[in-house]
Order: sequence, then C-alpha cells, then structure tokens
Amino acid sequence: MMRRALTLWLFVPLCLSLARAAEKEKPLPKDLPSYGPLQPFVAPQVTPHQLSNGLTLWLAPRPGFPKVSLAVAVRGGKAADPKGGPGLSVLLADTLDQGTKTRSAREIAEELQAAGGDFSRDAEADDLIVSTSVLSSKAEAGLTVLADILQNATFPDSEVALAKRNAADRLRSQEADPFFLTSRALVRAVFGDHPYSVIAPTQDSIAKTTAEELRREYARRFRPDQVALVAVGDFDAGTLTGWVESLLGKWQTPAEPPVPAVEKPSQAAPHAVFYVVRPESVQTTIAVGTLAPTRGEAEYPAAQVGVAIYGGMFGSRLTLNIREDKGYTYSPFAYLSPRRQVAVFQSWAPVRNEVTGAALNEMNYELNRMATTAPTEDELTHAQRYLTGTRVIELQSQDAVAAELARLWVFGLSAEELGTETARIQKVTAKDVEAVGAKYFSAARQTIVMVGEEKVIKDQVAPFAIETRLSP
Amino acid sequence: MKAWRVLAMLTCLAGLATGAWAEESWKVPTAVKTLSNGLMVVVSEDHSAPTFGLCISYRIGFRLEPEGRTGFAHLFEHMMFEGTPNAPKGTFDKVVEGGGGWINGDTRWDFTEYIEPAPLAAFEPALWLEADRMKTLDFSTENLDNQRKVVEEEVRVNMLNQPYGLFFAIDLPGKAFDKFPNAHNFYGDFKDLDAANIQDVKSFYERYYAPNNAVLCIAGDVKPEEVFEKVEKYFGAIPRRTVPPKPDVSEAPQSAERHATQPDKFAQVPALAVGYRMPPRTSHDAVVGAVVGELLHNGQASRLYQALVKEKKVALDVSGGMNWPLGNPFEYDGPTLMTSFITYPPNFREDDVMGAFDAAIASLAAQGPNPAELERISAKMRSDWYAQLEIPINRASVLAHATLFDGNPQRVNEIPDELAKVNADEVKAFARKYLVKTNRTVLNRVPAPPSEKKAEGGEKGAQ
Repeated sequence: MMRRALTLWLFVPLCLSLARAAEKEKPLPKDLPSYGPLQPFVAPQVTPHQLSNGLTLWLAPRPGFPKVSLAVAVRGGKAADPKGGPGLSVLLADTLDQGTKTRSAREIAEELQAAGGDFSRDAEADDLIVSTSVLSSKAEAGLTVLADILQNATFPDSEVALAKRNAADRLRSQEADPFFLTSRALVRAVFGDHPYSVIAPTQDSIAKTTAEELRREYARRFRPDQVALVAVGDFDAGTLTGWVESLLGKWQTPAEPPVPAVEKPSQAAPHAVFYVVRPESVQTTIAVGTLAPTRGEAEYPAAQVGVAIYGGMFGSRLTLNIREDKGYTYSPFAYLSPRRQVAVFQSWAPVRNEVTGAALNEMNYELNRMATTAPTEDELTHAQRYLTGTRVIELQSQDAVAAELARLWVFGLSAEELGTETARIQKVTAKDVEAVGAKYFSAARQTIVMVGEEKVIKDQVAPFAIETRLSP
Repeated sequence: MKAWRVLAMLTCLAGLATGAWAEESWKVPTAVKTLSNGLMVVVSEDHSAPTFGLCISYRIGFRLEPEGRTGFAHLFEHMMFEGTPNAPKGTFDKVVEGGGGWINGDTRWDFTEYIEPAPLAAFEPALWLEADRMKTLDFSTENLDNQRKVVEEEVRVNMLNQPYGLFFAIDLPGKAFDKFPNAHNFYGDFKDLDAANIQDVKSFYERYYAPNNAVLCIAGDVKPEEVFEKVEKYFGAIPRRTVPPKPDVSEAPQSAERHATQPDKFAQVPALAVGYRMPPRTSHDAVVGAVVGELLHNGQASRLYQALVKEKKVALDVSGGMNWPLGNPFEYDGPTLMTSFITYPPNFREDDVMGAFDAAIASLAAQGPNPAELERISAKMRSDWYAQLEIPINRASVLAHATLFDGNPQRVNEIPDELAKVNADEVKAFARKYLVKTNRTVLNRVPAPPSEKKAEGGEKGAQ
C-alpha cells in the first residue's frame, strides 16, 4: 500500500523583533538590522511502503544532489544481547560485512567503493543501523551489496578470529580515552542491572564470542519484519522499489517470535558520585545524568527546550557560566540521549583538576535553577528558534535525513515526525519547561560520574557530603 | 581548533572526486564580486531550503603566528567571539542562535574561518555582525584572560588528557620540518599562551584581519545581486589595509629518514605516524598526491587497510591522507605532509608494521594501480567531494578556500576532472619520487607506565 505524506509547516512567528530576543540588560546594537520574514520549510516527503514479507521501505526522493543515502535499521541492539555476552552486538556489527555466500570481505569493500560509498555500522541500544551513501548512478550496485549483507552474511571463522583479536585491542584503546570511560560509567550507574547499562563488550565477552554465536544472533535479528530500509536522495521511487522487491522480496520471515522489546527501566540510580581512577589525568571529566522522557512521550519537547536553555547551546546558562564567565572548561554540553524506552538527560564538563569541585558546584546550581524557576520568555523563544532552525539545517543533509528516518522507525514513530517534532517544540510554554525542570533537573536527582585522579576527585567532592564510590 | 563544542578535532575529512558518469554534469553555481576594499565575495545559490551558510575566511593560520606565541592564531580566533564596542560579548551568539542558527570558528595552518548556518531570516543581522567584527574588536584584557583559560582547557581535552595527544598532527610536522612556521606546536605551549597580551591581539588583528585578506562566501537560498548589494552596504566602507607579504616558509630538502620513539602515558595500544613531505599545492604533482593519498587510505578497500589490517594482520586501524588531518588536499599554502596514522597490536613491533607498510608502498611504486582500482577510487573521490558541497555551510567553506588559495571558486567544479585525468603511470612516478624513506618521518608512540613521561627524540609536544 502506498501513501503520500506531505508535511508542510511554517516557522510559527514567535517573536520577530530582535529587541525581544535579547536579554533586557544588554540592548542590541542600534544599527543591527531586524530578522527578515520567516520562510516556510518543507519537511522531506516520505513515501512509506511495506513488502509482503513485512519489510518496511521508506523512500524520500530529492532531486538535485546526485547521491543516494541508504540506511537500514534492524530491531535488536545491545540491549538484546545475551546475558552472558554483553556487547555482542558490537562484534556482530563489526563482522557483518566480512563475507557473504557469494562475496568476500574485500569484494564487499571494493564494490561499495566503486559505487562511491563506505559501509557504516552502528550498534545502538535498541537496534543495529547499517548505511552507505553512493552516487545516484550506482544506487543499484550499492543496494545490491547491502541486500546481500542483510540476507547472506556468513561470519567466516578466520574473519571472526581477526575481528575478535582487534576488538580486544580496540577495547584497550578505548579504555585509555576519558570520554569512553565516562560514558561507560554513566550508563552503568544510571541503568544498574537493566540491559541499557551496556555500551561496549568486555574482554571476557569478546574472548567467549564464537562465529557460531554470531551466526545465531544474525539469524535471530535479521528478518524482514524487523527491518526498515530508508532511501533518501536523487532516485526514481518506482525504479528503486523494483530493485528492492527483486533483491529483498524473497527474504522470508521465520516462524519464531522476534527479539522482544526491552522493558522500561525505572529510576533507581542513587544520587552519588561514581568515579573511575585514571592516573595522571590533567582534567576531571564530569558527567551528570538521570532518566528523562524519551521521543514520542508528551514531556519530550519541553525537556528538549529545557536542556537547550540549561546547557545545549552556546548561549545556554551552563556555557555562559562555566566557560564564558569562569573559564573552567572548553566544552560543557548537555543533551538528551533517547533510547526507545527512556532517555538519559546528561551534562558533561571536562575541567582542569583544580576546579573539579567548583565546576560540580556550578552545575548543581544551574540544575537547581532549572528545577525551581521558569525560564524567561526570551530564553524560551531563543531556545525554540534555535532548536527549530538548527533542525532545518541538519536535515539539509540527506545522510542525516536517512539516519533520522531509520531512528524514527526504531522508535515506532512515523516519518511525519520530521516536521511535527519541531512544531511541538514551538508550542512549549515556560510553564511546561518549569514542570519538566522540577521533575528531572534537580541536582539531588542526578547521578554523577567523574573520571580522573583519585585524590583530586575525593578531595574536591568531600565538601559536598555525597556518597562517593568506585564505578563498578 | 574549533571555537566551541567540537571535542574531537579529527572530523571526517572529505576525500576527493573523479569519474565519468551522469554525475559529471553536477556543478555548484558561483558568482563572484570583489569590493573596492579588496574583499572577495562569492555566492552559491541553492534554493532547496530557506537557509544560508556563511563562511568568512582570513588568509592567516598557525603558520604565521609569531615565535614565542605558539597557539596564538587559534587563541585569537576565540577573541573574535568576544564582542566589539558596538556588539558586546554575547551579542553574536544571541542573535544567530536566537535566529535559529549556530556559530563557530576554525583555525588551520593557512587560514582561519568563521562560519554561521542559519534560517534565511537571520541573514542580514549575521552579515552586519560579521562586518562589525571586521571593523574593530573589544580589546578586553578580561575577555583575553577568560579565553586563555578556555583555550588551555581545549588543549587539555583534545591533546594533553588524550591517548596519543594528537602526535600525528603536532609532533609529526614538528619532527618532519625545520622552520618554526611549519614545525611549531600550533595548539600552543602554555608558557606562550600565558604570555599573550592584549597588544598581541591588537597587532595580529590589524595585520591580518583586513578585507583584502579575506573571502566571504554565502551559499543557500539567496540571489547573488541581493547579496552583493548587502555586502557592499555593510562591508564597503571598511578600509583596505596593508597586509605583510608572506615570508618564505619553504624547507630545505630532506636528505635522510627521520625517526623518534615517544612514550605515551595514557595509550594502551601503540601507534605509528608516518609523514611524507608533499609537493607545493600549485604543482600538478599535488593533484596526483591527492589520488595517491586516497588509494592508500580511503576506507576498507584501500591498499594500506588491506595490507596491514587484513593480509599481514599487523595493524588495528589505518587512517590518513594528503594534508590530513587538518584539511583536504587543496587547503594548504606551505609545506605539508601525507600522513598515515596506524594503531597496532601491542604484541607486534614497529618493524613488523613498517615492513608491511614498506611492501605496500613498494608495490604501488612498482606496479601502480590497476584500471579497476583507479576507477573505484575515482567514483569514491567524486562521491566524497560532492558530499562536502551538499549543504550550504560546508559548500561555503570549500568555495571560500578555493577562492582564497586559487582566486577562483569554480576550481571546486574542476577538481573532479583534474583528478579523473590522473593515470597509473603518474601514480607510479609519484610514489617513486615522494614516497621514499629519505622523504619521510616516522614516529612510534608506545604505551609507557606513568613514571616514564620524558619523551625521546626531541619532538616538540606541548607541556
């Protein structure tokens, strides 16, 4: 069944006068020209389609730029890994393109390069996403290789052995990086025993993985009713649909039930500092996080706006405070990282050792300010326009549109979200932001992770009288 | 080197393009005008969405920062966001972000660019603000002290607190070149950053931030004539200034391989950086070099990945290319390298990796690429080149630099054809001339226990 979906929306004329967009205490330059009229933006048009075997196909033809972006989402990611094999999805994604019944790993790499593409793979919490971006004239060649990988990957023993050896060393390499250590400690702290607590394999799980196990997991997850293929770019929809029918139409959905959805985790993480010792660190990497509303939930747009005001923009409170005023850090940032069942609201600040405690104090202050007071109308407008405009800019890239559509499908949302998500942001009020602030932002709700010198962390956290323990 | 938010400096660097199919006709439109004060303005229309991307790039980068002031070009870039007497600190981001866009800056060896993508409604105020900071700055000691701290945190987060410490981008040119402009630590020694004063900011600004030393490019939902008119209105009265002539930064030829081993207090896995000195950007050899760089490094089908990771199994990952990692092969204006960054398993020795590396180079020099391989890399380079011209802000940046270095934005449409003409004999000749041991520098970065911090080999890392 085919359905045409056209989403046309306008920038809601929020506040056109620059005078109101600025903070009262700092008038704007008198000669500065006003903003021009707001222009309508047409969200990418997506034609949803389903093959008889259950495979979902979303097509967004955009003539002009001579490339086609292909993204494939497969339900079942790191949260679906077997209990004894945390992070198996990472190895599965790594070895997916290392051979099929008719192509060697090298042939796959060379055929995609000849089409102008690469093979990208991401093992996410709820899904695996594989993608490539090829020249329009080579779209059929690119699609052919992707379709082969989806149906006929063989996980050759020799390739799996090499991938295992390299994964073990790559994990050692990642463990030298403070951002990896912080991310891993944060999800462990925030999710506890929930399957969302895993972002990477362990040395033990890598060692135990076998080619046979990868083949089993591949057979369990890669089935047409659990897969969506997204194409964005310069192509003819009818022609491309024909290729997909002929390349993927005979793929059978097995009788077994698919990978079950993950249960929604509950907020259980303690308000405590979990630290990771990294000797000779010249900074403490601080991350503060908590569970928050995810995409598709009613509070999500207000949470997006709140996060932007707090720490998601250059003009955010956190950046103006700990960077532009105090110079504690180069790159403070806050964001929502949505999984299907829940998002993690997290804010980060890598700071020089001496100001570890001072930076945490300011983060707490800004979090509590969000938790107890409404934003000003000017802050609200600034954040709404920022979130809306930057979204339009982001979606000018067809790779970004393809990736975003694949994510929407994983979340069980419709393609129209491309336009409606920002439309909802426009409707958020200061009261809405105040409400999510009260519910999710208070410093006492947050779990804190610090990666750095043990003595620095312990000494500077001591005055906060907060439970402090080694990250598991 | 970004003013904000970019944690990893190694953004994915677009490769290049060639080929011979329907896509060959895909070109980006350009219109050019030079103001009487020397400011070159480039406009590229793209009406696919109601947005614009603005890039203004100045012909000044790390290379020409003063001795005793390493890291200054980048510190100065931060000062461009600290306000003017008319538009105090905070105004720029408030107006552009409040208009739905974002701002950033980026310092490289031979240019410093300032970029703003935003919905069209913010175009005129953004243009006004950009012109305003070309007239004067708020030369505030307080703001300099603030940004000095921010930049020192940037150096810590991207270099001093990271495994490998960007040695392939900082220490490698430091060892490969002899002259200060090409060899110094561009992120800055802290003693130099600490020594920078407001007089330095003023004189650097007066010397280099002139309209006749810049290119302004706007891509997006705009009409050239309207843009030219507005640019004239806001920038037209800014006076031309005398920009110092470019000093001779050329290096004496290298006569022997250079090598150093560096202990790394954070790394758990050893790594190699290999750098070959490259020909000047304006020579035909540089175009061949761009293709060779991609044959060796572009993805899993590349020669080095196949040889080192898959066949000999002596490496975990390989990346690199010409003028990598701080620009594409057409964005330099002085000595540069073709760099390979290789991580390898701890149970192998440097010789194991370099043996396989040398064999891969020798094979390219002896046999050259086969026709299918050349055709593949042509398609991939074309595809990658187009990718960086897709959205307005990236297109504005690429066009600005083609104009800055070649005086001709249409060069971006010619490059795919230039690359397509490179043949197997040229590749072989290039490999024999440039990819030789006497023209290269190798750094081996090895995990070391925290107590062994002192580096050997005289490399020039920051403190």
